[in-house]
Amino acid sequence: MREAYHVELDRLAQNLAEMCDMAATAMSRATKALLEADLVLAEQVISDDQRVDDARAHCEEQAYALLALQAPVATDLRTVLAAIHAAESLERMGDLALHVARAARRRHPDPVLPAEVAPYFAEMGTVVVRLARQAEEVIKSRDVDAARSMDAADDEVDDIHRHLFTVIMGNDWPHGVAAAVDTTLLGRFYERFGDHAVSVANRMVFVVTGKMPGYHTNEI
Amino acid sequence: MAKRIEVSDLNIYYDKFLAVQGVSMTIEPRAVTALIGPSGCGKSTFLRSLNRMHELVPKARVEGKIAMDGQDLYGPNVDPVVVRRHIGMVFQRPNPFPTMSIYDNVAAGLRLNATRMKRAELDDLVERALRAANLWQEVSDRLNKPGSGLSGGQQQRLCIARAIAVQPDVLLMDEPCSALDPISTQKIEDLINELKTEYTIVIVTHNMQQAARVSDTTGFFNLKGVGEAGQLVELDETTKIFSTPTNQATEDYISGRFG
Repeated sequence: MREAYHVELDRLAQNLAEMCDMAATAMSRATKALLEADLVLAEQVISDDQRVDDARAHCEEQAYALLALQAPVATDLRTVLAAIHAAESLERMGDLALHVARAARRRHPDPVLPAEVAPYFAEMGTVVVRLARQAEEVIKSRDVDAARSMDAADDEVDDIHRHLFTVIMGNDWPHGVAAAVDTTLLGRFYERFGDHAVSVANRMVFVVTGKMPGYHTNEI
Repeated sequence: MAKRIEVSDLNIYYDKFLAVQGVSMTIEPRAVTALIGPSGCGKSTFLRSLNRMHELVPKARVEGKIAMDGQDLYGPNVDPVVVRRHIGMVFQRPNPFPTMSIYDNVAAGLRLNATRMKRAELDDLVERALRAANLWQEVSDRLNKPGSGLSGGQQQRLCIARAIAVQPDVLLMDEPCSALDPISTQKIEDLINELKTEYTIVIVTHNMQQAARVSDTTGFFNLKGVGEAGQLVELDETTKIFSTPTNQATEDYISGRFG
């Protein structure tokens, strides 16, 4: 019985890693669709999002069953708790990729972004997809140092996000309000995506150490 | 009055066999200390050494020190019977005196120990012990019926009433719920929670969820190796033991990875 329980726990982590992969792939495709006004790719991201939602529901059911039937403690308990939280973050990441894809579809065949801000999004896209891949690795390896090393890349995204405001608010912004709104929202989507990826990795740090990075009340 | 027990470098032998080795721990008053660990790891032996009950086995002896509020329980002039009078014990299987009435079961300890007592005074002490054991309401109309006629859970609370009737300082419990159904278990657990406001309680349990529920401090015992002595591996706050234990063997045991 206990053997089956440990198999279930491992499977829960595998499912999370797969969700990471789905979110990373979705954001990678959505970014390409955004930058290249690729309608087919945008449509694919939109229809694939259901898979992420289903995977999240599945993770929660698994976690619930483990809590109800196996009364996990210590590392096992932290694994289940972390999975519940991480699955939610990963579903949000899928939704953010979905928002990016929808923006690409809405403006098709026109590009959503003015040419001068597009490179920022290419950069943010590359970095946040890498963050999601790193989170996937951390789920598999439980490598605390690898999780902590993600903060720098996330700061980079935050900096670009902040810089976008300066560009939009400048007196020489010639693209009007609609483009400014698109740029602002899309910048926000990438920034949030990166934050969620870091949060997923931090949940794994909690599994290993019993402490959630960045929380002031670390005593249980 | 609840008292603190200090155990230092305790070794427990059965003749030449070293059963428990090198235990040092402080058992805090007005708190519940749970002892967990696989079968045969010495936790019951350790529990029994706290009131010298293990001496009922021939050639059992201890090295090291156990002191209750500073007084050495194994001092040369200490009578084990007096130790057991101050440190009561409740066992796995409810063991009321079968032919005695409910009343006499509770009064047994008082009659053995005491000094003549007026009937009214004895009545009062019996009622108080039964109330403290949360049994009064269920038995007040049949105090003269035999204790063995009660349900298992009631019998166990009767044994607790008998143990606390003599107003001990410490209450030792050796798997007090393992022969009981979940509802009786819950009643005993509630009772433990109430009793800890007045007593020092040490409980041995195989039910880890029970240790997690009722205790403030948990100690994990394990064998040093196959055929070797049992030892105290880790002692810490119960929340710590069940969330982030320090020792890998503790984690493996509470997670069901061995034992």
